[in-house]
Amino acid sequence: MIRNLNIILIFTSVLMLSGVYALKFSIENTASERTALIALIDSQEGDLSLLKADEAVLNQPGHIDPIIKRHEMALAIAPVKQEQFGAFEALPMRPAKPNSAAMDTLFESLEAGVDPIDAILELEGIE
Amino acid sequence: MAVTAEDFGPTISLEGARKARGNLTQARIRWMVLALVLGFGLVGARLIQLGMVVPDSTIEGQARDVITATRPPILDRNGLEMAVDIRVPSLFAEPRRIIDVEEAVRKLRTVLPDLDEAWLRTRLTGDKGFVWVQRELSPTIQDRVMRLGIPGIDFITESKRFYPGMTEASHILGSTNIDNQGIAGIERHMDNEDVALLQELGLARGNALAPVELSVDMRVQHIMHEQLVDALTRYQAIAAAGVMMDVRTGEIIALASLPDFNPNEPATALVKDSFNRITSGIFEPGSIFKTVTMAASLDSGAVTINDDFDARFGVRFGRYTIDDYKGKHRVLSLPEVFKYSSNIGTIRIMQAMGKDNYRAFLTRMGFDQRVPFELPEMRLPSIPKEMSEVSAATASFGHGLSVSPLHMVTAYAAFVNGGNYIAPTLYRRDLAEAQALYQPVIKPSTSADIRYLLRLNAIEGGATQMNKLSLGYRAGGKTGTAEKVVDGAYSSAKNTNFFGSVFPMDNPHYAMIIMVDEPKAENMQSGVTAAWNAGQVSGRIIQRVAPMLGIAPDFAEVLDQNLTPPELR
Repeated sequence: MIRNLNIILIFTSVLMLSGVYALKFSIENTASERTALIALIDSQEGDLSLLKADEAVLNQPGHIDPIIKRHEMALAIAPVKQEQFGAFEALPMRPAKPNSAAMDTLFESLEAGVDPIDAILELEGIE
Repeated sequence: MAVTAEDFGPTISLEGARKARGNLTQARIRWMVLALVLGFGLVGARLIQLGMVVPDSTIEGQARDVITATRPPILDRNGLEMAVDIRVPSLFAEPRRIIDVEEAVRKLRTVLPDLDEAWLRTRLTGDKGFVWVQRELSPTIQDRVMRLGIPGIDFITESKRFYPGMTEASHILGSTNIDNQGIAGIERHMDNEDVALLQELGLARGNALAPVELSVDMRVQHIMHEQLVDALTRYQAIAAAGVMMDVRTGEIIALASLPDFNPNEPATALVKDSFNRITSGIFEPGSIFKTVTMAASLDSGAVTINDDFDARFGVRFGRYTIDDYKGKHRVLSLPEVFKYSSNIGTIRIMQAMGKDNYRAFLTRMGFDQRVPFELPEMRLPSIPKEMSEVSAATASFGHGLSVSPLHMVTAYAAFVNGGNYIAPTLYRRDLAEAQALYQPVIKPSTSADIRYLLRLNAIEGGATQMNKLSLGYRAGGKTGTAEKVVDGAYSSAKNTNFFGSVFPMDNPHYAMIIMVDEPKAENMQSGVTAAWNAGQVSGRIIQRVAPMLGIAPDFAEVLDQNLTPPELR
């Protein structure tokens, strides 16, 4: 009985030992992967911060203004003048409504077989 | 006699030596098995325990806090970055791991020739575990140093503050030192407020910090800065400064002072005369202070806008006579006193309310203490505690006392917004919040009178040059030319010129003070008084920024007529 127990214990020991080692190596592996990832994220965050800073510089009015000034002539642009601003009151009035009564009589006469244009043409001597 | 077993003691049984040993061995093995099982049990239990515990990974990296601690980004009111953190490599050495110091020094100096050889040698010699060699380098230099392959030399990533606007908002932002602590401006104010606390708690890591939104509009700030730079060359002035404030909320829209510095290179802040003239410069305000006298007297009820004042002769105080710059030498109405900027008339107006009441009004307007404001760079104004007749007379037109331009812009804001003093701020503040902080200093009717006077001065008085440039934006203003004291006497050659303006006058929204120090005439035809420089700069700024601030030009004369008080119509 004791012999059997010993054998079981020895096998269990060997198994557990190899299990623990496997676990240790896999953990070390994961840890180094993690470290590499952290380093990668760190460097990418660094790059990102630089890119964001670049973007902020490019967006500054103080950066854009000189570019505009440089191309003022070529693009024919200038700061807006007060006179260039419009107002709703300055818009022209809506054109007068079409004379619908006259149109109605025209269509009625056309339906009745009288073409006023024809009459004009005849008057002019054009057939 | 029978022999019975009872007569004998217990039976003696002798066990063989082998059996006895066998029993002993069995007992020992049992004990051993028990010990082994207990041992394995212990190990197993410990494993289970370890498996159950969730490792606390937050402790990791705590040591890095001090150097990678970040500051919150600073944004302007439209969300544009004014200050951001960038990650930069810093070079450090572990002297105890360096094998050949001479070689390391020689190699390092090929990439970083600025480093002093002797300094570097002493730095790298010894048994220390960590020394900085050079902080905040560029990634290219990092690559080149890495390629040298010197043992005991390595890089660490640090946070560095970067200001994309360069010099433009330098006096607002201030600067940080190499350890990322604010040393000036809003950066320093933020540290005193909460960032330092956050860093102590270890929370200020990563990008977790909420950005700080300022009230500044970078577009307006750019225009103001640009125009002030232009003023320096155009009028060959030694300094120029400007501040614009939202009169309803007290938010500072723009604040610039030249000469300035580049916050990306904090050392440039030490350049002579680059202090913030708006907050920490105190000056004799000159005639822009007449607005204060007008508001004080009109509000006290001692004078009305209909009153006339004798400005035929100068005002005599013993041996001194105070006269007008370009005197009309006749009886002037109150609006005319303002329009022609008459010193005599202003003294009479002040005298009508009495010097003690006038002094009390200056206190009410906060002229004898610092303006409550975020920037740490502040100086106490200088105003006589007790005013004699003469000092009250000179004070009425802005001489013999010194206040900062920030005082003036706050006063102008209060005069036109209906008479409510509101402390300026660099942070966002909405109207409801501001209204809770309002301190009534003058009556709304007095405020309406001041609005009329300022606009009148732009149409007919000393501010017409400004109005010509900003036509349509209904700006009003007052010029102020203060002679500088040179060798104990006022010099007519050196002026500090001010211009206080407000726009649009029909519904005041922005107040602005522009200062030009020691300007010269732009050309033969122009003068050196404030209208020619500070006034024109104000006009140009208003012309450029009004459309950005959503103010459309309106040339309707009825708007100006509406400003006229009913008793003058």
